[in-house]
Amino acid sequence: MTKPIRDFTHGELEWSPWLTPVDQNAADAAQRDALKITPSSRPVGAYSLVLAHDPESLAQRSPLYNAIMFGQKGLPRADRELGAVVSSRINGCAYCASVHALRFVQLAKEPDVMARIQAEGVDTTFEPRRQAIVDYAAKLTRDPAAISAADLAPLRAQGLSDLEILDLTHAVAMFAWANRLMQTLGEPAP
Amino acid sequence: MSDTTPDVMDTLAGLPQGSAVAELRRQRPDVARYTQTSDEAIFAPADDGGLTRLERLAAALRVAVRLRDTTLGDHYRERLVALLGGKAPEHAEGDSKRRGLIHDHVDRVTSDPDSATKANIDALLAGGLTPHAVVSLSQVIAYVNFQSRVLAGLRMLRDAP
Repeated sequence: MTKPIRDFTHGELEWSPWLTPVDQNAADAAQRDALKITPSSRPVGAYSLVLAHDPESLAQRSPLYNAIMFGQKGLPRADRELGAVVSSRINGCAYCASVHALRFVQLAKEPDVMARIQAEGVDTTFEPRRQAIVDYAAKLTRDPAAISAADLAPLRAQGLSDLEILDLTHAVAMFAWANRLMQTLGEPAP
Repeated sequence: MSDTTPDVMDTLAGLPQGSAVAELRRQRPDVARYTQTSDEAIFAPADDGGLTRLERLAAALRVAVRLRDTTLGDHYRERLVALLGGKAPEHAEGDSKRRGLIHDHVDRVTSDPDSATKANIDALLAGGLTPHAVVSLSQVIAYVNFQSRVLAGLRMLRDAP
């Protein structure tokens, strides 16, 4: 059973940093350049301005995030968002879960899936295709060393192509990254 | 980097050039490209912001060991030994208090990110890390957590019947 988590199913939470963000008006050239691309092309906010303390990594990470979550074809975007929510629910990132639960619901029109993950955690039952995706995402989040070739069969049995499985892997892995930044450099605002 | 050169991920996942999974990765050229450039920005930055390359590699090694990813651990150990001119990383010199602070942060952020608090960030700042170094350390830890999960998926696809 996954630990309880603050409600993430009623709209986006705010995020409050623990490290003073870069002052956008005083940003140097490298910082301004790194802030030109943001995850999901959102306006520059506190999160990006905290990461701008290290502009070199930020400048590569934002386009990587966008390539993983928005790349054409392959795994439907709703399923990438589901992978993001599974990772965020297990890691306890209510802020991340709130953002990506909203996107999942907008894309898939299945608010009940998010309500169940909120209430019960990820170790519950879903329709078979979602089940295969959630089970793989959960195992990859909890213990990547435990993944073996045997974990492929349930995904392929649900018709996922190798490209779709790669896309799912990238989405879950990106949230192993994103959750850790969001959870350890700040917190959801009250 | 050209789209067909084996990169860090191909090497660590054991994907020979032209193999099925290496080709599959090329169907996501931007993901492959920005994964490689992220790796370079994190481990060989032009401006390290006060978090040295040695500290970055030592933190990465510790993440890989915690995740029981032996291939990834060997990779960071070899890079550390190379940087130290052949000396074992256990014998690296440096401020042990600072090293302890960094190690504690690696363990917490890797294994229980939900337990992190503002006090942890304040402790790193009080221990002499600049805001740049704190963000760099967070990126190192989070990136290796990403990397190990991508590698797990690639190895799964590689070993598929």
